[in-house]
Amino acid sequence: MNLLNNFSKNKTEDSLQLSRRKFLISAVNSALVMAFAPLTMSLTASASEIIKQNGFSPSIWFEISTLGEITVHVARCEMGQHVGTALAQIVAEELGANWDDIRVEHASSDPKWGFVMTGGSWSVFQMYKPLSQAGAAGRITLIEAGAKLLGVAPKSCDVKDSKVISGSKSVTFAEIIKQGKFDRTFTPEEMNKLPIKSPDKRHTIGFDRLALDVPPKTNGKAVYGIDVELEGMVYTRPVIPPTRYGSKVLGVDDSNAKKIKGYLGYEILKDQSNWIEGWVSVIAESYHSAIKAADAIKVSYKSGDTTNVSEQDIIDEGRKLVNTKSAGVLFVNDGDMDKAFDSAASTLDATYITHTAMHFQMEPLNALAEFKDGVWHIHCGNQSHSLTLPAVAKALGVSDDSVIVHQYYLGGGFGRRAYGDYAIPAALTAKQYGKPVKLIFTRPDDAKFDQARSASVQKVSAAINDKNELVGYEHNISAGWPTLSMAPGFMPKGIDNTGNFDPFSTSGSDHWYTIANNRVRTINNPLAQKTFTPGWLRSVGPGWISFGAESFIDEVAHELKKDPVEMRLAMLDGKGKNRGHHPQSVHGAKRLKFVLENCKKAANWGQKLPKNEGLGIATSFGQEREMPTWIACAAHVAVNPTSGEITIKKIFMTIDCGTVVHPDSALAQIEGSILWGVSLALHEGTEVSNGNYIATNFHNYTPLRMNNMPEMEINFVESKEFPVGLGEPGVIAVAPAIANAVFHATGIRLRELPMKPEHIRQQSKQA
Amino acid sequence: MIEFNLNGKTVRTDVPDDTPLLWVIRDEFGLKGTKFGCGIAMCGACTVHLDGAAVRSCSMPISMAQGKKVSTIEGFEGKHPLQEAWIEEQVPQCGYCQSGQIMQAATLLEQNGSPTDEEISAHMSANICRCMAYPRIKKAIKSAAEKSNSAVNVYDLASSVEG
Ligand code: FES
Ligand code: FES
Repeated sequence: MNLLNNFSKNKTEDSLQLSRRKFLISAVNSALVMAFAPLTMSLTASASEIIKQNGFSPSIWFEISTLGEITVHVARCEMGQHVGTALAQIVAEELGANWDDIRVEHASSDPKWGFVMTGGSWSVFQMYKPLSQAGAAGRITLIEAGAKLLGVAPKSCDVKDSKVISGSKSVTFAEIIKQGKFDRTFTPEEMNKLPIKSPDKRHTIGFDRLALDVPPKTNGKAVYGIDVELEGMVYTRPVIPPTRYGSKVLGVDDSNAKKIKGYLGYEILKDQSNWIEGWVSVIAESYHSAIKAADAIKVSYKSGDTTNVSEQDIIDEGRKLVNTKSAGVLFVNDGDMDKAFDSAASTLDATYITHTAMHFQMEPLNALAEFKDGVWHIHCGNQSHSLTLPAVAKALGVSDDSVIVHQYYLGGGFGRRAYGDYAIPAALTAKQYGKPVKLIFTRPDDAKFDQARSASVQKVSAAINDKNELVGYEHNISAGWPTLSMAPGFMPKGIDNTGNFDPFSTSGSDHWYTIANNRVRTINNPLAQKTFTPGWLRSVGPGWISFGAESFIDEVAHELKKDPVEMRLAMLDGKGKNRGHHPQSVHGAKRLKFVLENCKKAANWGQKLPKNEGLGIATSFGQEREMPTWIACAAHVAVNPTSGEITIKKIFMTIDCGTVVHPDSALAQIEGSILWGVSLALHEGTEVSNGNYIATNFHNYTPLRMNNMPEMEINFVESKEFPVGLGEPGVIAVAPAIANAVFHATGIRLRELPMKPEHIRQQSKQA
Repeated sequence: MIEFNLNGKTVRTDVPDDTPLLWVIRDEFGLKGTKFGCGIAMCGACTVHLDGAAVRSCSMPISMAQGKKVSTIEGFEGKHPLQEAWIEEQVPQCGYCQSGQIMQAATLLEQNGSPTDEEISAHMSANICRCMAYPRIKKAIKSAAEKSNSAVNVYDLASSVEG
C-alpha cells in the first residue's frame, strides 16, 4: 500500500494507474474476461495466460458469460449513491450492451485493485475515461469476432443490445463468445486511441436505468455489514474509555456482568498501533447480553489529558490561531495582500464559527473478524479498503497481505467509513479471545467513537479601495484535520514550504472570484486534534469553509451597497487562473457565472417579499477546485421575529456537473445533499464537553425529519463536458444561502453554525 | 418460553424476557431485514408490525410479543404496493432505513387510503432517513396510495354494476 504523498496526483491515481496498463481480453472458463494488467506483468505472457493466473491488476474488469450475462466488477462501495450502476453504465455504453444483461459485483480488498477509496465524490470522475476505453476495447474485439461469424467486414458492423449487427444480419454476444477464440492485448497507446462515442450517439449514459441496488433495499434482502454471521462467532460490545487518546485500563470488575445470562468474558485490547488505547471488549453469546454486560462491567482508568476540554476551549484556540499572523501554512497567495491592506481606503473583517457536527450514519459501526488459515478476514462495509486494511494489519501486528477486507452494503458512509478503524477492536478481540467476533457499537458507542467534523473558526478580511471595489481578500481558516490523523501521506506542502496541510480541510477557500490580491492560510487546531479524531464529513472542508467565504462576500456587497448577486457575477470573469482547464474545469468561472444567473432567475431574485421573509444566494464549486461541480443555491426563508425560528420555504439549486451519467441518481444525490445542507445549517451540531461529544443518540442529535423538509427546485445544466462528482457538492452552498437570506429578512447576520433561534433573539435584543 | 406468530408461522424462543424483539427477529430467526439504528425508539429503523400496528422492535421486550402476530419486511414478500412504488420512485439510497420506512408507511395506508402531504409528513416523521431520501419516500407513498385507490374504485364499480 503506498499512499501517494501528493494529493493532486492521488486524485487521478486510478486513471493514471490504468492508463499505464495493458488491456487484456481472453476467454476463460467459458466467459470472456476483459481486464487491465500492469505493463511489467504482461510483457511476455499472453492475455489468456495472465487472466488464467488471475495476474491482472485492474481497478475494474468485466466478463461476459456464454449466457450473455455481463458482470462488471466494481472496486467501489455502494453507500447510497448507486455508483455501481453509474460505472456499469459507462461500460455498457461503449460495449453496446443491453442494460438488462448487466450485473454489478463489489470487490473485496486485494492489492490488485490499486488504491481504492469511495469518497471525495471522485468515482465517476476518476473512472470515466478508463471505463469508456475498456468498453470500447471490448466492443472492437466482439465486432472482429462477430464479423467473422457473419462473414462480413468488421467495418460494416456496429453493436447494439448485446449484439453485433451488420445490415440485416446479427449475432449475439453470447453466440460470439461460445464460438470465438479470444486472446488479445491492447497496449496503453492503443487504448488511448480507441474511438469513444460522441455524446449524441449515447444510449445508456445520460439515461435513467433502474439502479441495480434498489430492489434488494426494498425487501430486506440487501446484506449490510451488520447482517453478516459466521459459524462459531461470539458477540462483542466495546467499552470505550473516557478520553479518545491516552486512556489506560487500571482494573476491571466484572462481578455484576457475571450475573448476566450469556456473558462470556472480557478482553483488555492490545493495539500494536496504539490507535485505540484503554479499550475493553465485552463478549457474550448474544448481542443483547453483550449490551447488558458492558453496562454492568466496571472499568477503572487512568484518563488521557483531554478530560476537561470543552467546545469553547477549542473555539478559543481557533480564534487565537486565525488572529496569529504567521500561523499555519500558506495556501493561496495572489498579488500583494499586505500592500492591498496598507493602501486600502477601508477594511472589513468577520469571524465565523462552525460547531462540531457528527455522522450518525444510520447503520451503527460494526465489524466481524475471523482468523482462518493464516489470514485475517474482516467483514464490514467500508469506503476504503486501502485505508482500512493497513490500519487493521498494523493494530494486529501482521503484514498487509495477511488481511482481507470483505465488502458489503454500507448503511451510510458520509466519510465515517473511509478509515475503517471500527474493525480494529473486532480484530483484536478475535485475536485475543480466539474466536470469530461480531462487534457492534450501540448508537451511544458509535457516537462516542465518531470522527466528528471539527469545530472551526475562520476569519475573513477585505481591503476596499477608494473606488469602492474589493481589491484584497484574506481568509484564515482553522480546524482539526482528519487527514493529519488518518492519512498524513495525503498532505501536500504549503506554497511557503513551512509545512504540510490537510487539503480536505482547506479546499473551498480557493474560490473562483477574480480579486487582485488574495491570501489564504490554513491552520491546524491542535487542541481539537488531540481531543478527538477529526473526521471527513460529507462535503468536508468546503462544507464549513464556504459558509465563511460566501457569507462574507455577501457582507462585503452590503457594505459596498452593491447587489450581492451582481457583485459575484462581476467577479466571475473567467480570467487568469479562473479560466479553468481541459477537461474537467474547462471554461472555468464562466460556468459558475452561468449557474448563478440561472439560479437568480429561477428564484426570481429581486422580487418583493412579505415582511420577515428573505432570499439569499451563494455559490460553490464542489469538493475541489481541480474537480469543480458548479453550483448556485438560493434560499427563501421566513424568520419569526419573536421566537427567532427560521423556516425554509424553498431551496433553488442550479448545478453544472458536466455529463450526467445517471440523471435520476444525480437528482437523488442533490435532493439528499440539499437536505443535508439544511440539516447541518439548522438542525444538527453538538459540542465537546469533558473531552467527549455531548450528543449520544438521536434524541440529542437531531437530523432533519420529513416534517422539516422544504420545497426544492433543482435544475441541471445540460452539458457534454467531462463528468465530475455529485455525492457531496450539493451540501456546500446551502448554509451560506440560508444565512444570507436571514440577513435579507431581518438585517441580522448569523456567523455561527448551526444557526439557532436564540442567535436571532440575542441579536435582535442588542439591536 | 415465548410463542408468537412471525410472518404467518408460529415460532418459539427461550431468550430472557427482556430481550428486545429486534434481536430475536434478527439473530434467533435470521430475518435481517429489520435494522438496528438507535435502540431507543427514536429512528424507526427497527419498525415491525405487532398485531397490525407499527412498533419499534428495539424497545419492545420479547415478552410483549407473547401470543401476538409479528410481521416484518420479509413478510411482505416483495408484493406490497409500497415496495413496488419504492422501486418505481427509486427511493433507497444507502437503503438501511427503508425496511422501517416501508413498515411505517404501510400502517398509514391501512388507516388512510389517500393521505395528504401533511398527513404523510406527520406519520413518517417518526422515522429518520439519514440519506434524506424524504422527497421520494413521500412521492412513493402517494403513488402507492393512488394506485390502490384506483384498484378499489374499479372493484367498487364492478360490484355496483353487478348489484
Ligand atoms: S432502532 Fe428502534 S427506533 Fe431506532
Ligand atoms: S436510505 Fe440511507 S438512511 Fe434512508
